[in-house]
Amino acid sequence: MEVKIENLKKQFGQVIGVKDLDLNVRDGEFVALLGPSGCGKTTTLLMLAGIYKPTDGTIRFGDRVVNQVQPRDRNIGMVFQSYALYPHMTVFGNISYPLKLKKVPKQEQMERVERVANTMGIGGLLDRRPGQLSGGQQQRVALGRALVKEPDILLFDEPLSNLDARLRLTMRSEIKQLQNRLGITAIYVTHDQVEAMTMADRIAVMNQGVLQAFDTPEDLYDRPKTLFVAGFVGNPPMNFADVSVMAEHGGFTARNESIRLQVPAERGQKAAAAGKVRMGIRPEDIHVVDEGDAVTAEVVIVEPLGRDAMLDVRFGSDQFLVLADPQKHIRAGDQVKLHFDMDSVQFFDLQSERSLLWN
Amino acid sequence: MSKNKYHIIIPFLLPAVVLYAVFVMFPYGKAIYISLTKWRGLTPNPEFIGLENFQKLLGDDLFWNALSHNLIYLIFIPAITLSIALYLAFLLTHGKARFSRFYRVTFFFPQVMSLVAIGVLWSFVYHPTIGILSSIAGLLGAKEPIAWLGNPDVALIAVGAVVVWQAVGFYMVLFIAGMESIPVSYYEAATIDGASRWDLFWRITLPMLWDTIRTAMVFLAIGAIDMFAITQTMTEGGPNRSTDVLATYVYDRAFLKSNFGYATAVAVAMFVLAFLLSLLTMRATQRESLEY
Repeated sequence: MEVKIENLKKQFGQVIGVKDLDLNVRDGEFVALLGPSGCGKTTTLLMLAGIYKPTDGTIRFGDRVVNQVQPRDRNIGMVFQSYALYPHMTVFGNISYPLKLKKVPKQEQMERVERVANTMGIGGLLDRRPGQLSGGQQQRVALGRALVKEPDILLFDEPLSNLDARLRLTMRSEIKQLQNRLGITAIYVTHDQVEAMTMADRIAVMNQGVLQAFDTPEDLYDRPKTLFVAGFVGNPPMNFADVSVMAEHGGFTARNESIRLQVPAERGQKAAAAGKVRMGIRPEDIHVVDEGDAVTAEVVIVEPLGRDAMLDVRFGSDQFLVLADPQKHIRAGDQVKLHFDMDSVQFFDLQSERSLLWN
Repeated sequence: MSKNKYHIIIPFLLPAVVLYAVFVMFPYGKAIYISLTKWRGLTPNPEFIGLENFQKLLGDDLFWNALSHNLIYLIFIPAITLSIALYLAFLLTHGKARFSRFYRVTFFFPQVMSLVAIGVLWSFVYHPTIGILSSIAGLLGAKEPIAWLGNPDVALIAVGAVVVWQAVGFYMVLFIAGMESIPVSYYEAATIDGASRWDLFWRITLPMLWDTIRTAMVFLAIGAIDMFAITQTMTEGGPNRSTDVLATYVYDRAFLKSNFGYATAVAVAMFVLAFLLSLLTMRATQRESLEY
């Protein structure tokens, strides 16, 4: 089922929750709504579910405008952050509840619940109460309840945030596989960018009720269109420094009082005319080198991450995060030489905060 | 160590135990003793007569009359009060009622008034000539003033209605607090699953409120066994003992007839009744406690 959101707006009194949102979700697509808390992503989801009525704009499921359609008539399945499993019903009671309300015959209820439960690997737990289940099992029951209706659209509201890290990893791929196999359109709200990046076909990044970008994970990461997206997507986050890009000696350089870096012509050209710009470069694109054309910086903090050591370095007035090989045994207070891999450098306009490269 | 432990525990425990013993356990024991005596309240030494008072009780029509009124209250007051309170609470939490704050305060108001004041107030409301109810009945075409509290067929209902009026607000507030602590995601999930408002009430609110409801049942049941203050101030058990309850009967036997031994036996019977009833209510309504 295709989902088309046009000009969607939601206002709570004076507070604007979602502002002029346009979003087209293709049939069978997995779309993540990503953003910090309070960005309007859950509000959007609840409008899709029909719990909230939009202040303005239209929501279409296929060709049908659903603004005034009751939640039960939208044929959606939803998985909540808290799972919202009815504590006084058994697992069977929970999964069969939507069918019961639809007055599906008893025999068919049993068959469908059993089928879904077996798919989710909870066939043996049907007599239990939610209180007797582990977090992962509850999650599966919640998914089962959403799926048993054979919905056109699946809505997820941060479904993995109550699970521990290891289980989250498993459930992530399970949900993705399931969605892929069933081909149900899925809209998935999360504040965890790793979740969004790994699961979604496309990610809608939101901030303060406004859609910032709607792109594939690769595009968001490599070609961020706004400063917010560049800073929000990626962990550890992108480093920023204000520089001027100038044409010199047949090439381009980005410079401020403490750095002076060669910029590839294709990117430098677009940034050169803009005067002072904000340069962005990801931590993995900065390398600690022993010698060569490099910037010297002082290490302020070292955070061992296992595979890498994350260095917080300072040069001039700029402070950057850099990933280094832990084998180098760098300590706080050391001086290091940094090489900037400028092939994936980003430039943003200071006023509009939009990318100078990708708009 | 274990010996030392008691050195510390006992001094902390003692004051509470002493107070409880002097002011609760001793009077209970004494009352049970007095119920086994013949005592007019004047002599220092009651005359022990064994179970004679209880024997007499079984054949006492006035005792059964009073008890029957308590039982009628017991059946109707909790059921009616709970239904109205639940309905109002659900309306004020889930309905789109305007001024819901105003209603909450207004409905709660009777709870802060003293029962005696309420009794006097309603005596005026029910007054056959100057009462507002009779005036309304007159406007609606009633030829003669209605003696709400003077008619043995109506008086019991009239008194019971006052108790419901007085209690509904409190239980409404109690249920509102309970309902507001139920996470909203259950309602959202059920709404998406296709539940109507009626389903939400029966399948979500009621089961999750169950612990609060059964506590309310016990309170209301105990209240229905008591009923002293309101009955005494409104009818004193009349007319013709048609609103007499066990507590007013105890009062009547003890302070009007100076028959303390027998009155205490009635009181002990009342205690046993209330105790069994609480036990029964809790047992019968026991469910697995829900955590959410």
